[in-house]
Amino acid sequence: MSVEPMKVIIAKPGLDGHDRGAKVVARALVEAGMEVVYLGLRQTPESIVNAALEEDADVIGLSILSGAHMTHFRRVKELMDKNGLGDRLLTGGGIIPTKDQEKLKELGIEKVFGPGDDIQAIVDYIRTWHRSRST
Amino acid sequence: MKRPVVKTADKRNWEKKYCSPDLRNADFSSISGRPLEPLYTREDLSGFDVDTELGYPGEYPYTRGIHPSMYRGKLWTMRQFAGMGTPQQSNERYKFLLAKGQTGLSVAFDNPTLYGWDSDHALSAGEVGKTGVAVDSTADMERLFREIPLDQVSTSMTINAPAAWIFAMFLANAEKQNVSFDMLRGTLQNDILKEYIAQKEWIFPPEPHLRLITDLMAFCADHVPQWNTISISGYHIREAGSTAAQELAFTLADGFAYVEHALRAGLEIDDFAPRLSFFFNSHLDFFEEIAKLRAARRIWARHMKEKYKAKDPRSWLCRFHVQTAGCSLTAQQPKINIIRTALEALAGVLGGCQSLHTNSMDEALALPSEKAVEIALRTQQVIAFESGVANVIDPLGGSYFIEKLTCELEEEAERYFQKIDELGGVVKAIEQGFFQREITRAAYEYQMALSRKKKILVGVNEFINEDEHLEIPILEIDESVERDQIRRLQELRQKRDNQAVRSRLDALKKAAAGTENLIPRLLDCARVYATLGEISAALINVFGEYQEQPFY
Amino acid sequence: MNSDRRTGHSLKPELWDQFFKGSRLACARLITLVENFPELVPEIRDKLFSHRRSAIRIGVTGPPGVGKSTVTAALARRALKKGHSVGVIAVDPSSPFTGGAFLGDRVRMQSLIGDPHIFIRSLASRDGHGGLSPSTPYAADIFDAFGMDRIYIETVGVGQAELDVLTCADLVILVLQPGTGDVIQALKAGIIEAADMFLINKSDLPGTESLLDSLRFIFEISARQKTIPRPPILAASALHNKGLDEASAEMERLIHGLIQSGRFQKKKRLRLEGEIKASILQNLWEQFSTLTNAPEEIQAAADDLLKSGQSPYPFIRKISSRIKMETVNEKTCCENRR
Repeated sequence: MSVEPMKVIIAKPGLDGHDRGAKVVARALVEAGMEVVYLGLRQTPESIVNAALEEDADVIGLSILSGAHMTHFRRVKELMDKNGLGDRLLTGGGIIPTKDQEKLKELGIEKVFGPGDDIQAIVDYIRTWHRSRST
Repeated sequence: MKRPVVKTADKRNWEKKYCSPDLRNADFSSISGRPLEPLYTREDLSGFDVDTELGYPGEYPYTRGIHPSMYRGKLWTMRQFAGMGTPQQSNERYKFLLAKGQTGLSVAFDNPTLYGWDSDHALSAGEVGKTGVAVDSTADMERLFREIPLDQVSTSMTINAPAAWIFAMFLANAEKQNVSFDMLRGTLQNDILKEYIAQKEWIFPPEPHLRLITDLMAFCADHVPQWNTISISGYHIREAGSTAAQELAFTLADGFAYVEHALRAGLEIDDFAPRLSFFFNSHLDFFEEIAKLRAARRIWARHMKEKYKAKDPRSWLCRFHVQTAGCSLTAQQPKINIIRTALEALAGVLGGCQSLHTNSMDEALALPSEKAVEIALRTQQVIAFESGVANVIDPLGGSYFIEKLTCELEEEAERYFQKIDELGGVVKAIEQGFFQREITRAAYEYQMALSRKKKILVGVNEFINEDEHLEIPILEIDESVERDQIRRLQELRQKRDNQAVRSRLDALKKAAAGTENLIPRLLDCARVYATLGEISAALINVFGEYQEQPFY
Repeated sequence: MNSDRRTGHSLKPELWDQFFKGSRLACARLITLVENFPELVPEIRDKLFSHRRSAIRIGVTGPPGVGKSTVTAALARRALKKGHSVGVIAVDPSSPFTGGAFLGDRVRMQSLIGDPHIFIRSLASRDGHGGLSPSTPYAADIFDAFGMDRIYIETVGVGQAELDVLTCADLVILVLQPGTGDVIQALKAGIIEAADMFLINKSDLPGTESLLDSLRFIFEISARQKTIPRPPILAASALHNKGLDEASAEMERLIHGLIQSGRFQKKKRLRLEGEIKASILQNLWEQFSTLTNAPEEIQAAADDLLKSGQSPYPFIRKISSRIKMETVNEKTCCENRR
């Protein structure tokens, strides 16, 4: 492997139970050679960041369809910074209106994905980020 | 009119011509990956007995519909699922929908409510009123249905894990409105098995949930006879990524599991089976969806009559609500969603649904706005009143393709039933992750088919509009909803009779540890305004909580 | 690799400072380093040795799907309640085709999350073949030096080749479930002989009694029974929280016995011996192959042998004769003894 294996956390913060997207993305990342730590449903920002820390994860991916994305992304980002994980990638997907995507950018969450986005685009985004970080 | 009989040799001739090299380079399988023939002929129906497989509408095995007159007698109920924000806001939306010609109400609850948590639960933060209405107590139920006569509209409530105590609050409110229980009409989703399989909103392990469902069936048989105690749902199974055949098989298997649980608890089949109803998805693959709905009626009727020995024909009926597929909506070029939804709705109608929800075009972006909801409702009205499809019963019956597809889906479902039996039944199969794995695999395969353009989604992987600008208004839930809801909840805890709340919750716990029917106890709690979360906590104390299993 | 994590081939001193001050992130990073950079293992182990304590390492193994994670979580929760500091290493398989891995064990350990005295780490098995990742023993050492006194190591569960855990753990629990009787037959020669405790999980399923019977039967006919007492065989249901207090109490008795009998020290000694031998072997091979161009020669010889259909032993004797002990630097081969 040219680049060391990547560890990615996939989690569903908040209360909705729609884990189809999270699971499909997790599978695609595994197929792309990544090590995916799947945290499952109903995660709090605290439990997600704690897992990222223990796993020394490179990437945190959140899947949120409950409409509570602003609350959760903001909190996860805060906790990442506080715990020395500010240099890791935070991204995610769900039903996130364009206006909120802009607000997320201001928080330093550059890109989130939505329904219909190609699964390969997610894999590529994470890979590209990781390569640029390794060099 | 007499014409010469066509000889079978003609098909061979046609086949030769068909296999010319000028076929389009495209994937001709269904959206579920089902291989399809280019043409269906009577050869595909050899051995097909019209009398036993089809019968007539309103007659066993009900393939052609559950009523003799179907939509000539009564159109399907146009029932738009709605709910958001505070109970007051939802109440206004319901009155709006009734004024626009909607004929039944359908309540969407927010996530904390679906989990049985109060709005001030730590994990509710950011979720209150977001994807449905927040209901914390009977007081919220009173606000939700203010000035809506419960004896005149039918009310569907999409709630599962805490369904029994949400229903108790609904009953307590009916008492306040002076509507007697036997006048109440409506449906409680109350389908916990599909929660473990697909939707993942549970509280306890399966057994106590099943007990509460059986308790509710018994209670309603005696006191709320017009109420559909359960809506056995394939909708969410499909949304989680299953194929059409999996949706059909897993949903009906869940139905059989409820029947068996109630029978084991000593109920008589014909006392509860007529109040079981179903809820299916209508996805984009037009014919496969129609066949799925027709197959559902036939399978259910056969099993109820032949396996479970139900005598009352009403027990044989697979009555169902249909909702168009939320997962087929795209955030890209959202107006196309109107067309997708229209096709899906048409499939639901041709499949013989009893009620229908059409999704709004903006649902891949946010909660539906009022304008979008109105177009969705109008779509149903066009199908009902302009297209002419409601004039003839089961108009596709007898089509080689539709009948063959219906038979194939039935056979596929039977194979799944056998597999589930081998695993020890639905609950054991859930614990072993059988359904979850099957669905995840199907979801992944579909996603890959899109990624490789084996399947085309307009505006998503083909016919993309670069620099697309969103032109539809988006509904946003104000952050003040959460604060308002929490404030009201805390006021309620101040002013209610807390002594009574405590003693009734204690009585509930005691009853839960025994075997008595819990619905009267839950009603007692609701009458004194015990909150949703307090009742959940009391029951968790006895029943324990269920842990997610990460099947992949 | 990020430059802030290591400089050249040695570690930044700050990382060690943070580690010994109790930084969980530093602990996590050290584990990543032993996973990704085997060449750093000697350096890391040197540093850790002076801080090693005597954590008990408990291996949890068994066929796939029997509920190893749920059992591990249940036992870990009970250890936490008794005031232990707990480390959990959960190993899941890597795909041999893509190198990717789905690490899902944390989901089953939800109930442990939030307790500051537990540290859970998922490892992909990577190129480990015996049910563990090659870095598992080092990760356990890091936990030990970080102050964990109970370390649970949960294996992949690929079926029969779960023997790595025997060398890596002080005690081994074999988890089975009803309906895995045929698996027992297959396992009989290996891990069944070595497991310290048998736990029949999902004992609410039919077939529990017959599984218990067949286990007892195996021990009756096995030779082991004459020398050491039969290991405890318990039934439990982790999902329904039944029988686990008993399993945990039995575990504690076993740990007590392990220490009292001196077997704990013996296990530690055996582990050390094993590591030294493996390390020498590795070093010898490296030296040998750089000195003699052996890999290419072996490949060429194998090609020839296949064509000629001759025995490989003349070649083996010839190439082995080139091993001269004096060419091997003693300092290198014993590096890990320091």
